[in-house]
Amino acid sequence: MIIREVKPAGLYIHVPFCSSVCPYCDFAVTIAGADRRSAYLDALDREVAGSADHGLRFDTVYFGGGTPSSLAPDQLARILATINARLDLAPDATRHIEINPDDVSRAAAAAWRELDFTFASLGVQSFSDEVLGFLGRRHGAADARRAAGTLLEAGFTTVSVDLIFGLPGQTADDWRRQLETVLELGVHHLSCYQLTIHDGTVFGRRHALGELRELDEDGQADLYLMTHEILGGAGWEGYEVSNFAAGADHRSRHNRKYWDHTPYLGLGPSAHSFVGRRRWWNQRKSRLWTAAIEEDRSPIEGRETLSDAELFFEAVMLGLRTADGIDRDALQRRFGDEVAAFDEPAVERLAESGHLLVDGARIRPSSKGMAVAEGLVRTVLP
Amino acid sequence: MDNVRSFCIIAHIDHGKSTLADRLIQFCGGVEERDFRDQILDSMDIERERGITIKSNTVTLSYTAKNGETYQLNLIDTPGHVDFSHEVRRSLMSCEGALLLVDASQGVEAQTVANMYLAIEHNLELVPVINKIDLPAADVERVKEEIEEDLGLDAEHAILCSAKKGIGIEGVLEAIVARLPAPTGDPKAPLQALIFDAQYDPYRGAVLLVRVMQGTLRPGQRLVLMHTEIEHELEEVGLLQLKKVKVPKLEAGSVGYVIAGIRSVSDINVGDTITDADNPAEKPLPGYKEAKPVVFSSVYPMSTEEYPELVKALEKLKLNDAALTYEKDSSAALGFGFRCGFLGLLHLEVVQERLRREYDLSLILSAPSVRYRVTTTDGNTTWVDNPSYFPNPAEIERTEEPFIKAAVMMPERYVGAVMELCRERRGEKTTFTYLAVGRVELTSEMPLAEVVFDFNDRLKSTTQGYGSFDYEMLDYRDTDLVKVDILVNAEPVDALSQLVHRDRARMRALHYCERLEDTIPRQQFKIAIQGAIGGEIVARKTINAYRKDVTAKCYGGDISRKRKLLEKQKKGKKRMKMVGSVEIPQSAFVAVLKTDREK
Repeated sequence: MIIREVKPAGLYIHVPFCSSVCPYCDFAVTIAGADRRSAYLDALDREVAGSADHGLRFDTVYFGGGTPSSLAPDQLARILATINARLDLAPDATRHIEINPDDVSRAAAAAWRELDFTFASLGVQSFSDEVLGFLGRRHGAADARRAAGTLLEAGFTTVSVDLIFGLPGQTADDWRRQLETVLELGVHHLSCYQLTIHDGTVFGRRHALGELRELDEDGQADLYLMTHEILGGAGWEGYEVSNFAAGADHRSRHNRKYWDHTPYLGLGPSAHSFVGRRRWWNQRKSRLWTAAIEEDRSPIEGRETLSDAELFFEAVMLGLRTADGIDRDALQRRFGDEVAAFDEPAVERLAESGHLLVDGARIRPSSKGMAVAEGLVRTVLP
Repeated sequence: MDNVRSFCIIAHIDHGKSTLADRLIQFCGGVEERDFRDQILDSMDIERERGITIKSNTVTLSYTAKNGETYQLNLIDTPGHVDFSHEVRRSLMSCEGALLLVDASQGVEAQTVANMYLAIEHNLELVPVINKIDLPAADVERVKEEIEEDLGLDAEHAILCSAKKGIGIEGVLEAIVARLPAPTGDPKAPLQALIFDAQYDPYRGAVLLVRVMQGTLRPGQRLVLMHTEIEHELEEVGLLQLKKVKVPKLEAGSVGYVIAGIRSVSDINVGDTITDADNPAEKPLPGYKEAKPVVFSSVYPMSTEEYPELVKALEKLKLNDAALTYEKDSSAALGFGFRCGFLGLLHLEVVQERLRREYDLSLILSAPSVRYRVTTTDGNTTWVDNPSYFPNPAEIERTEEPFIKAAVMMPERYVGAVMELCRERRGEKTTFTYLAVGRVELTSEMPLAEVVFDFNDRLKSTTQGYGSFDYEMLDYRDTDLVKVDILVNAEPVDALSQLVHRDRARMRALHYCERLEDTIPRQQFKIAIQGAIGGEIVARKTINAYRKDVTAKCYGGDISRKRKLLEKQKKGKKRMKMVGSVEIPQSAFVAVLKTDREK
């Protein structure tokens, strides 16, 4: 007998291919030719087929990467067909795809819509040619605007753009123009990420050599708070540390699952899965993942079973990154008073300092609080 | 007695003292191959790691020389820091000679010179030994010249060796036998045995390391420790051959151990003279000094739960460390702890390090203080070594602080700089005399408080290591003492309060504020750090709130990694002390107490 999870789960498909590797990126990506793509598709088919016994029902499916839009529409169709055949995907599931501006054409947009993708995340990164050059992106600002327009015309329910902020030397004016462009374009959603320099990337090396410096913390804070201010002024909500939506309907239903412990299944290299209190993740390297599946071995690289304390820690850590915050009563019901304990004086202090909004059992971060979300969890827990 | 030689090794750090000792021991078959380990005489981890010797140790070796005679060689390993100078002096008193070890590539270094002065002071016969002659950079001729010129020793007969490679070890042993004098003394005379250190054995209690100067020690004797006037029955005597080897008696000239039913090392004093109760010596050996703590600091466990462990750990440490004192103390900011007394800052560091390492305790120490004498307006006089007990300034009639007489020995060229250093440290009556050509002894009367903190370090850097320093207590003199308080967001941090001379108070307050500014991590709100003298704010620093942290994406993949990272950060919170609403890391307390020389 298969026991169904009550909450509909999320399905994530990792498409590791990129046509070039961005100098700041530390995701699992690869530049590979047709052979590797074909091997990937075969392996993915097998992984999908082997995942039926989780007994999950999915109401979101998310193609992330890498660059999912670099797959041809018939390749995407093939993946979706396998999913539909093998897994329990709700007919009205939200289909979410990450798209590179380079790959956008009227025909491509129409093809994606044909496959019922309704949520498009466009990897714009910046609306400034200079910044795009610095970030090593192949598209220009005009391409990005055009791509957004094309996706809107094609009838995606939600068009989101990704922007990076906090670039070395970035000014408030520059960032304001970026945000104004987002509003002018009429898109519905913004994911904005602070530039983080990771070891092992081109930027990491340049940073080590002293060629590159992140924007200082005050600068980062100013830009971040400005984002809340400008988008908030336009009626948007910052519903998660990095995510803003033009209305509750445009929030990402899929990503929410990562933040509230809804089950999700991740397929493809480096993808993470979470069910109940178990989390596991696939081989990060595309080659190892493919080889494992081809040789009938498990592609799983690591797994963990979370204790109540760890689940609680995550619930607070993730909850305090979202505008909805956390419900202390609910957490105490879920984990018991012993585990779900808070440093009450610290909570009070953060409420006083305007980082937290305390409303009965619910604690929500203000925008000022979201700016320091990492520190909040450490502070509010005993 | 003619076939006994007692000696120590004098060397600059890293010139191979421990390695040479290891080789001498191995050459004489003093240790089985399988029991051997490097730095065999340094038994504490902290000694082995920092390359310093804290406790004296000794080993008796049996060596058959080329002349066919068998000799008993007593190698005495001595500490090398002014905090333990009392032990060093007693150890040197137990020797007739010293090997002066010099690195063949580095040549004569500061510490060599400084330690040599001390050896000369004790009339030791010196044998120069040039070590590491196998190194490509070895320059024996140059080093010989340096020995002649800088040390004034005859280098012609310097012994060449490589302790590491085991070259020339026999030559060293032959020189010990041929060139160092045999001890003098009369086994039939009334007993005088010098205690030059003591070790703690969990089964036997205190094991005294002694040098018999006159007379003979025999089990069954009734012993008297002449200064403490305590009587014990002598249970066992023996030689230290890395392990204790029982012998029927120890005669004048011998170095060995004594077990006499003494419970702990704290019950005796290094430097005391043992005599026979039934046939006592007329007077004790010279140079006795009670090891009195001069620096006081409160020790608190980082986590209050660790308090019972701290109690146990101090009790155990005390068994092997006569100089350490402690009594209960408490702090509003840090909870329960102990007020401890130390011989000096190195001693303090060593105790702290041993508590951390051997007992796994995480500690916070308050600012060290000397012991002041305070007379209040009602005519009462009290001793104050803890700022918490410093009376209200309005009720203070008079404050006095301990003065010492510092004696600094150094090459002539540093006199100017050292005089300046003494002046800076409120030194009075600073004078100097020539001990020999180019070699000067400077004396200065200085407040102990100015000396205990970092005077030795400053002296070493001022004289590029060539200065050596020792001091003796003089008396208490009038001073103008104030209490400096540190406030964090208006909450006083009592553990950071300090008694300071008024002239120094403002600087000290500022220094503390700066250090805290550097070490308290930014928090979600602004933090004001203030230094106050008697309620008046004299220094202020602000730590701005942090406004943005790195909030990378938190999608599927990142969650475990992020949780682990943040969990780790949260563990750090346990190492924070809450003062009011501010989290102060242990490192801040540590940093504040660091010296201010780089400022």
